[in-house]
Amino acid sequence: MAERLFTEEFIHRLERLALVTRRAAAGPLQGERRSSQRGQSVEFADYRPYVPGDDFRRIDWSAYARLERFFIKLFVEEQDLLVHFLIDTSASMNWGQPNKLWYAVRSAGALGYVALAGLDRVTITALGALPDASGKSANGSGRYFPPHRGKNQALALFSFLQNLAGQNNGENGRGRSFDPARALRSYAAAASQPGPLMLLSDLMDDGWLDGLRALASRGFEVTLVHILAPEEVRPDLQGDLKLIDVESGAEVEITADYELLERYRQNLQAWQEELRRFCSARGMHYVPLDTSLPIEELLFAWLRQKGVLK
Amino acid sequence: MNFLAPAAFALSLLLPLIVALYLLKLRRTEREVSSTYLWRKMVRDMEANAPWQRLRRNLLLILQLLFLLVLIFALARPFTLVQGVGGEALILILDTSASMSATDVAPNRLEAAKQRARQLVDDMLDDARITVISAGTEAQVRVASTQDRRQAHLAIESIQPEMGGSELGVALELASAIAARQPDTEIVVLSDGRVTLPERLALKGRLTYLPVGIDGQNQAISQLTLEKAPGSGALTAFAQIANYGAQPAQNRLLLYANGALLNAYDLELPARGQQAVVVEDLPPDTVQIEARLAEEDMLPLDNQAVAVLTGGSGSISVALVSPGNRFLETAISLFPGAELTRVDTRVLAEEQAENDAASGPLIPEADLTIFDGYVPGEDELPDGNLLFIAPVSSTEMFTTTGTIETPVLNAANVDDPLLSHVSLTGINVLDAVSIPLPDWARPVIMGESAEGSSPLLFVGEVDGRRVAVLAFDLRRSDLPLNMAFPLLWANLFQWLVPGSSGGIPQQVNPGETISFLPPVEGEAVTVTRPDGSVVRLNMDAGRLVFADTTELGVYRVSWGESGSAAFVVNLFSNQESLIEPAASLPGPAAEGSGEGTQDQLARREWWRPFALLSLAVLTGEWFVYQRAALVRLRDDASRFLERFRR
Repeated sequence: MAERLFTEEFIHRLERLALVTRRAAAGPLQGERRSSQRGQSVEFADYRPYVPGDDFRRIDWSAYARLERFFIKLFVEEQDLLVHFLIDTSASMNWGQPNKLWYAVRSAGALGYVALAGLDRVTITALGALPDASGKSANGSGRYFPPHRGKNQALALFSFLQNLAGQNNGENGRGRSFDPARALRSYAAAASQPGPLMLLSDLMDDGWLDGLRALASRGFEVTLVHILAPEEVRPDLQGDLKLIDVESGAEVEITADYELLERYRQNLQAWQEELRRFCSARGMHYVPLDTSLPIEELLFAWLRQKGVLK
Repeated sequence: MNFLAPAAFALSLLLPLIVALYLLKLRRTEREVSSTYLWRKMVRDMEANAPWQRLRRNLLLILQLLFLLVLIFALARPFTLVQGVGGEALILILDTSASMSATDVAPNRLEAAKQRARQLVDDMLDDARITVISAGTEAQVRVASTQDRRQAHLAIESIQPEMGGSELGVALELASAIAARQPDTEIVVLSDGRVTLPERLALKGRLTYLPVGIDGQNQAISQLTLEKAPGSGALTAFAQIANYGAQPAQNRLLLYANGALLNAYDLELPARGQQAVVVEDLPPDTVQIEARLAEEDMLPLDNQAVAVLTGGSGSISVALVSPGNRFLETAISLFPGAELTRVDTRVLAEEQAENDAASGPLIPEADLTIFDGYVPGEDELPDGNLLFIAPVSSTEMFTTTGTIETPVLNAANVDDPLLSHVSLTGINVLDAVSIPLPDWARPVIMGESAEGSSPLLFVGEVDGRRVAVLAFDLRRSDLPLNMAFPLLWANLFQWLVPGSSGGIPQQVNPGETISFLPPVEGEAVTVTRPDGSVVRLNMDAGRLVFADTTELGVYRVSWGESGSAAFVVNLFSNQESLIEPAASLPGPAAEGSGEGTQDQLARREWWRPFALLSLAVLTGEWFVYQRAALVRLRDDASRFLERFRR
């Protein structure tokens, strides 16, 4: 996967986009986003009575002249955001035509660039069966991209992602078990600054929902990008087959005829519906897609429509 | 149910083979997928209704086994026994005579016979050979030894009723010839049995007679004539109505003269009896009378008849060479227009002696010359038709071989037109000349005596003229004193002198072929049939022949500028009017038939529905196998249409 993630022109187009956050979030550095905290800015927010220890430079003296009481003038403090990206790199993702992992990497790159361009900080974590997959412990190993800020960090972001796609090109991860619930829970526990979180995965495992619950309770604003390959949406199977899982090596015997495929389709729809309901109940975005959808369409139409980008 | 080819059941050994192939086929192809997560979920669902699932998965196997079973069943050729005609070949003879038009079975006997014939054809084995022969005025092979049912059905369908008699004898000979070529042949005669069969009939195959018809109630006009009395020229009509039924009947005879109703006569007809009606006061300008029976009966064809006045108004010259015969002279004088010239044989002998080398013929030219007890020398035979009565010596036409004493008179053929209405019983002949039958003649009356059998009256045509020979002297028998004499004489005279129109008969039976001399040499002759169609007649060996007499009614013959004559075709036939079905065929033919038909069993085959069923199962199997592809095809098509609509 030596090809480049994006063309120049595409990156220019990305600059017109911005991430939407529904909730105001708090961060240590001053940024361009409104924060829930009151602070130093030009935008007035509220009054509150003076208590000793307050900065008396912020006392509203004209209010004191009228009311003979001290009031502190509060301003909206504008802060930056830490945007989290979680990319599922389990073996099942490295599959499909177009490849699901490559698609996930490209989407993360594009969204990450949008975040960087919006003066937000970006961090990326690869989830998978590799031993260094668990968050911060693997600093600099190529599985974790620590928070970066500013458009000039875009190059670092892209090379990290390209590296990530290259790592998974081989047979690594095959046959190893991976517990998404544990991985997500530990990520939620370790996160210092919850914020918008993009999870890009095919969700082909049990335990994802438990992990998502943990993330949501920690205050992450989760967008679940559910990536499926066209072969998974409309399997082109016929006859008596033994299906082998590339990830676990598990076998399932089926006789693929019209009824079975029809039932598979219904089953898939029911699953996606279940996920959608799960997400909407917890204020998450659920974005189901298959990799035959062009990435331009995903960014400039699909995600805007879903309210993730503007 | 039995099977013609039970060996086909050996094919059921293929059933385990299919199962074995199916089990072998179930070795699954391996296929890698990203994750079996979704499939596992689904298979968990499916296990809830596993038995049904397994059955459905084996639906193809079940259909394949079913297909093979049904196919084997069809190949074994199952059959059931039904009533009908067995055998490997069938010859159907359908009587198409006039009596088969009787309506005692709806719609008529012929249709009922055709229905039965179709049924017989259907009940035959599939590879049976079927021959269809229609026996009307001539026997006709409609289809010979076909195995094609459709062809046999078409042949049966093409049979139409005819007005004439039934040549069943010829049809049976044809059938016998065909049966000789193919083994195990059934000959089935569908008829009402009112037929004449030859005395000896050597039949191949088994003959079965299926009588058609249930009722015999029928009244018919059996005779209708219109005649001009010799002396006065007054017109007399004579009609005879017969009741052929077993019950007495009442009917009404309507008589039309020149198309206008003249009179009606109520008739009381005893069972199997008849009644005559004589009408004397006819209008003098009557040329045609028509008689109709008012009451409908089973056979409408014989309920009407028509008669025309013979056109022959010209005189007929008759020369009588006789020592003097009062009976003959009286008889001849009764015929209108007959001009009699008497030549006494004694005078003739004297003149012969005087002239020796005769300067001219001593016997005058005449239409008919009668030699009574006299035979002219060679080269002395005059032109015209001849009647020899008791010839004393041989001529170039026949040879006398002596005399026979007191022969008993018998009709050679009861239906001979020369003997119509003539009863030969009670006629005594003292002696007669014994003449072996010449090859040109047909016998009319045979004489049986101690010396053997010899023809007493025979007729025929020699060198284009009609010749009749009566072998006994009228004065040495009591025939002239008998009622039979005027009738016989009238018939004979009619035959010998057929009138001025070249021998056009007055009354013709349906389907009969008539031939006559051209009335005027070189003129074209046309016949106008009752339906108005005009036929131009062609010469055949110096005579005109007309055979298309299938329709009842008046046929007008015309030639030249104004020459015309007419003859009528009426169904005057005892055989056809007697429509009561016969229980068995007359004559020896029926005896040779062997087994009776009604309780005979035939095999009806059933492989066709099974073959069709197997085809249906095969088609169903294909659809089940291809249904995923079919659904995809349908989706693709609808998607394409959708795009096209946009």
